[in-house]
Amino acid sequence: MPVLKKLLLKLLAIGISLFAVTFIVYFFNLDMKLTSAIEPFLLKHYDNMPRNAHL
Amino acid sequence: METIVGKERVGEKELGVLFDGGKVRKRREWRGLKDTLYDYARWLYIMSILAKFIAKPRNIKAMFRYRWMANYLATPHMVDKFTMGLRDEALRIVHTSMDFVVYDVASTLDNIFKGDRRTGNDTEFSKRCVLTDENAMTAFMMGFPNVKAILREVPCMFVANLLTQYSSTHYLDVAQQFGLAGDVCPMPEAEAGVSIDDDFAVLGCCAVQVNTTCDGSLMGNGLIAKRLEREYGIPTFQLVAPMRHREPDVQKYAAEDMKKAIAFVEEHTGQKWDWNYYFDSARRVNDATRKRMAWLEINSTPYPQFVGAPFSLYNDTNYMGNCGRSKLFPPVDAKILKYAEKGYREKKMMAREYRHRAIIWGVQPQYCIDMLNWMVHCWGIVPLTDMLSMINTRMIAEDDTPENREQAYYDMAWLNENMIMRNRTHGGYKVLVDELWEFCDKMGADMVIMWEHMSCKALTGMHGQFEEQARERGIHLVWVCHDLCDPRVFTRQAIRNQLNDYMRTVMREEPLDPSIEILPDENAW
Repeated sequence: MPVLKKLLLKLLAIGISLFAVTFIVYFFNLDMKLTSAIEPFLLKHYDNMPRNAHL
Repeated sequence: METIVGKERVGEKELGVLFDGGKVRKRREWRGLKDTLYDYARWLYIMSILAKFIAKPRNIKAMFRYRWMANYLATPHMVDKFTMGLRDEALRIVHTSMDFVVYDVASTLDNIFKGDRRTGNDTEFSKRCVLTDENAMTAFMMGFPNVKAILREVPCMFVANLLTQYSSTHYLDVAQQFGLAGDVCPMPEAEAGVSIDDDFAVLGCCAVQVNTTCDGSLMGNGLIAKRLEREYGIPTFQLVAPMRHREPDVQKYAAEDMKKAIAFVEEHTGQKWDWNYYFDSARRVNDATRKRMAWLEINSTPYPQFVGAPFSLYNDTNYMGNCGRSKLFPPVDAKILKYAEKGYREKKMMAREYRHRAIIWGVQPQYCIDMLNWMVHCWGIVPLTDMLSMINTRMIAEDDTPENREQAYYDMAWLNENMIMRNRTHGGYKVLVDELWEFCDKMGADMVIMWEHMSCKALTGMHGQFEEQARERGIHLVWVCHDLCDPRVFTRQAIRNQLNDYMRTVMREEPLDPSIEILPDENAW
């Protein structure tokens, strides 16, 4: 029983921590702030790619 | 119209606090505990779709190969634009519809890269794929259960521009560097630019192109077909729908052309037309039509529920891209209807005041499509429906009989002729002008927001008649000029300012939420 209780508490703690972290990311729009910082590097990469451009 | 006053919005009162002039919003919206948690759960769901997609190596490869893929970094941001200020059923309706559109586009992308010669290169899969136009009804695929219709241009151009406003500018520049005219519709021109820049995925055993609605589209299709056929060896069929689609004498020709398109697909895929699958699809088309009519019925009451860009985009996806072929749509339709009926019963509103009921006519600015939601919150104008959603309402034959097998070609042709946009911008005066006033009467609209796409020649000739007839009927006609998918010509704020000016100078009204009258989103995604 104490093992099961410990396991449940551990799972609860993990669940709460996951919720807290993801909710902070969600509410402060950190996901979009991160991807908007990545975009310029991707655009630079596309600009430097060789392309077979023609009509 | 008489102003309808509802409750004050729970949570965030001034939506302008979310904007700081950056590429993305300062933070997400506080909607009260219940709705914030709901929105958070839906955000997790969207993140799970994106995570599943990017977990596949071929999709990562595609991310680094195709420039337009960078726009998909903004997917959650796009959903936030459509849910701004919404609570209760309206929030749930937008999430149900748009989250499903996100899922559907992710599935399309996954299929594209599976067959793409440069990334997944699954040749067996590719042999069962047929490329179709962005503006094509996929009716001619309703009897092929084992063939994939790939709308290759939708994720590159159409959806990309919903995600980020500058998604097309690179491709427009490429097209014009190669000498193409700059005064045509930027949507097909950007697609031609993708082809010129060698940035389309290459897959499929054949392609079907549809004569869309304009000079730009014809120009773009020619270039794209040339590259498909001569460089990649993908034969291309031209499905040519008659422009005067309401005339009875063109229907036989349209049905014959549909037969030829089906024979072309059979020849190149080696698959046979399956009538059972066709009539199952036809039943789903009818079901979707009934649901759309039910949503419009609710929108005719004082408490509209499923409105704006999500209404239009979900209809686009369901009516044109799906065309009854997928079993996944009907449960989503039913869920949306359930929310809409509940919202109507409980008299739920999207803003604290409804001052005007508007019909949205013309073709929307793709990069500012969330303006319809903004309109509700800033000015209390409810967009009841839009031109692109006023499509076929006729039931097609759904029982498998010898007569209905012949009728089926006419039905598919009818759907193709009445694809989104073509059914209004072509087909004569009645479908574009007369029927607008009929819809105003039916839906109790006192205002028409007239998108004026400055590069579109199809609507220009009717400008004076719209003005004259609106005046006769006492309907407020607000012209809102834009350049469809090029925000360098008309910025988002320049578009919104046209409505702001009308509301302040003609209507002498003050905004419901002054904090969003001017938004610093010129640099935003």
